[in-house]
Amino acid sequence: MIDFWEVVRRSEKGPFVKEDEFDRRVGRLARQFVEKYAIRYDPEQVIPADDDLADRVYQAGLELFLELGIYCKDTGRLMKFNRDEVEWALKHAPTAVTYGQGQDVRVMTRRKIEDSKPPFCLNTPVGCTVAEERFVAMVQSYAQEPLSDTFSSAFSQTVQGRPIKSGTPQEVEAAIWNVVKLREAARAAGRPQIGIHNLVSNAERTDATLAAVQAEFGAQPNDGLAIAAIAEMKVDYERMKKTVFLRHSPYSKYGLYGPLMGGYAGGPESTAIVHVAHHFLGLLAFEAQWHDGFPLHLMQGCNSTRDLLWLISITAQALSRNTHLLIGVSPFTAAGPSTEMVVYEIAAIVLAATVSGLHLNLVAVARNKHPERSSGMEARIGAETGYLVARQGIKREQANEMVIKILAKYETQINDAPIGKRFDECYDLKTVQPTQEYLDLYERCKEKLSGLGLDYSLV
Amino acid sequence: MMKLIDEIVAATVEGDEDRCVALAQQVLDQGMAPYKAIQEGFSQGMLIVGEKFTKMEYYLPELMLCADAMKAAMEVLKPQLGEPQSGEIQGTIVLGTIQGDVHDLGKNIVKIMLQSAGFTVHDLGCDVPIRQFVGKAEELNADIIAVSAILTTTMAYMPDLTDLLSELGIRDKFRIMFGGASVTPEFADEAGADGYGKDAAEAVELAKRLMREKTQRGAK
Repeated sequence: MIDFWEVVRRSEKGPFVKEDEFDRRVGRLARQFVEKYAIRYDPEQVIPADDDLADRVYQAGLELFLELGIYCKDTGRLMKFNRDEVEWALKHAPTAVTYGQGQDVRVMTRRKIEDSKPPFCLNTPVGCTVAEERFVAMVQSYAQEPLSDTFSSAFSQTVQGRPIKSGTPQEVEAAIWNVVKLREAARAAGRPQIGIHNLVSNAERTDATLAAVQAEFGAQPNDGLAIAAIAEMKVDYERMKKTVFLRHSPYSKYGLYGPLMGGYAGGPESTAIVHVAHHFLGLLAFEAQWHDGFPLHLMQGCNSTRDLLWLISITAQALSRNTHLLIGVSPFTAAGPSTEMVVYEIAAIVLAATVSGLHLNLVAVARNKHPERSSGMEARIGAETGYLVARQGIKREQANEMVIKILAKYETQINDAPIGKRFDECYDLKTVQPTQEYLDLYERCKEKLSGLGLDYSLV
Repeated sequence: MMKLIDEIVAATVEGDEDRCVALAQQVLDQGMAPYKAIQEGFSQGMLIVGEKFTKMEYYLPELMLCADAMKAAMEVLKPQLGEPQSGEIQGTIVLGTIQGDVHDLGKNIVKIMLQSAGFTVHDLGCDVPIRQFVGKAEELNADIIAVSAILTTTMAYMPDLTDLLSELGIRDKFRIMFGGASVTPEFADEAGADGYGKDAAEAVELAKRLMREKTQRGAK
């Protein structure tokens, strides 16, 4: 057994390593295990149907974790674990997480490869920057989606007209405002007790985050917070402090991991095993109840590229086959709202994710970079695709064929992807409904995707 | 037989540290000007490495390996360098990730690429208060302050940097460049930067342009 306070003790007493040496060690070890386990990325097998490959990726990720450990930025020390400790933590990992209250209770449970159970849909603009006066409408557009199991936050540029700066009194004020407004949006969506999976995404500091997670501001039991690892394989006390609070509270916590393909880990194969290792980090350092990945392409800032689709699929298969962890992915697209490209990118990522056993955290568009470029329609596109992939019983081989064809529709445009329309251009702000133009565009894309074998009548 | 300069380029691109060190020693033994070896050999090699990295033919571990190889060779050449002549040093840059932000991967890549392009880079690390950027830039009489932010809550500090420099009456002493995952060209412009780099390759080109502009204006 491994206790959280023993993990903290190791962050104080573990071996000291300089940070740049640790960064180099990540790539060196990852490359070593890629060779040892003969892991190869095949661009034509974006969604591999190779169980042995998935198992090798899992073993490589586990061995990497045992060898590397977790780096604590505050102390420069390594938290290292043995195989028994990791296996104990895996054995005792949660098998279900409940969000919401009353009629809006939703339970996330494990999905397996090619599972006919639809993915749990956590709808969110992923902190897309939005003007203060449009914040509630934007997040409402996610909460009101029929397939939305939970929702979360955009990022208001200002709060009461003042910009939000990390570490200032205004950050505390903004974090509280964020929770108040999210619950307001839930009511406006007609789902007052829907779960909010990440109550505070506009505060970096833990004091501001925890100040806001209060019932009087709108937080409900079963709402939650994300705790993000610092890429690659690092944590700090700001993040681990959230864990302590959440251990004592009725709120849930999930781990958030965003390894960069092309970064410290290296290429797709080595980043894949580092991504698997991040799940052990979340389990041990954060006691995460479920795990959300957003692996990204270093240069493109999205995960709709061919190599990232492979990475998403093979890491999910590795974890699905070898653990009962609850796992999800945050799709990141290059294109923005109300473009055909964004529909195809979302479809490709969701296909790869859903057949591989993942839940869906929907969805970051326009590289999650451009203000006002996000809307509930993108979450709808993702959730509907996820539902039909599961209900249709699509197998990995079929999904691979489909994704290869979908990639042909957008792959060459990733570098110059259109950022799309602003929220107030693709939604009617009075009714908080998508414009007819956007609905028509989605219908046209659905027709083309139906031609590839996706049956939208199952949604 | 490959010319010495060609061998230096090849060894740098391969990230072969032992070979780079041996070739640097050969430069000295043969009486070649160290700056020629650096500019036409090691820097040229790193230029190719940078292009490969931008195209993702190389990943960050390879980029770091090659930069380390060049750095080791520099240690051999440094004692013989003497005073740099005009045009041999690109400029001095104070670099860091802004206050409240602990993400430094992108900043570290930019640092490697700037150093490889001949800039002297003083890396302040991450979570750097704006007054520390200003203090270090003044202390070093730097040419450029380069700031990265990955979070929307931390990029809000970027306008504070340009405001503080203006308030102190020293805005024109430095060129300011902003970058990072959350930063857009529009934001950088509104925040008062002299330029924005979307990635490390753009950051290097921007730094070179800012140095040219500064030299032309004779501002320093």
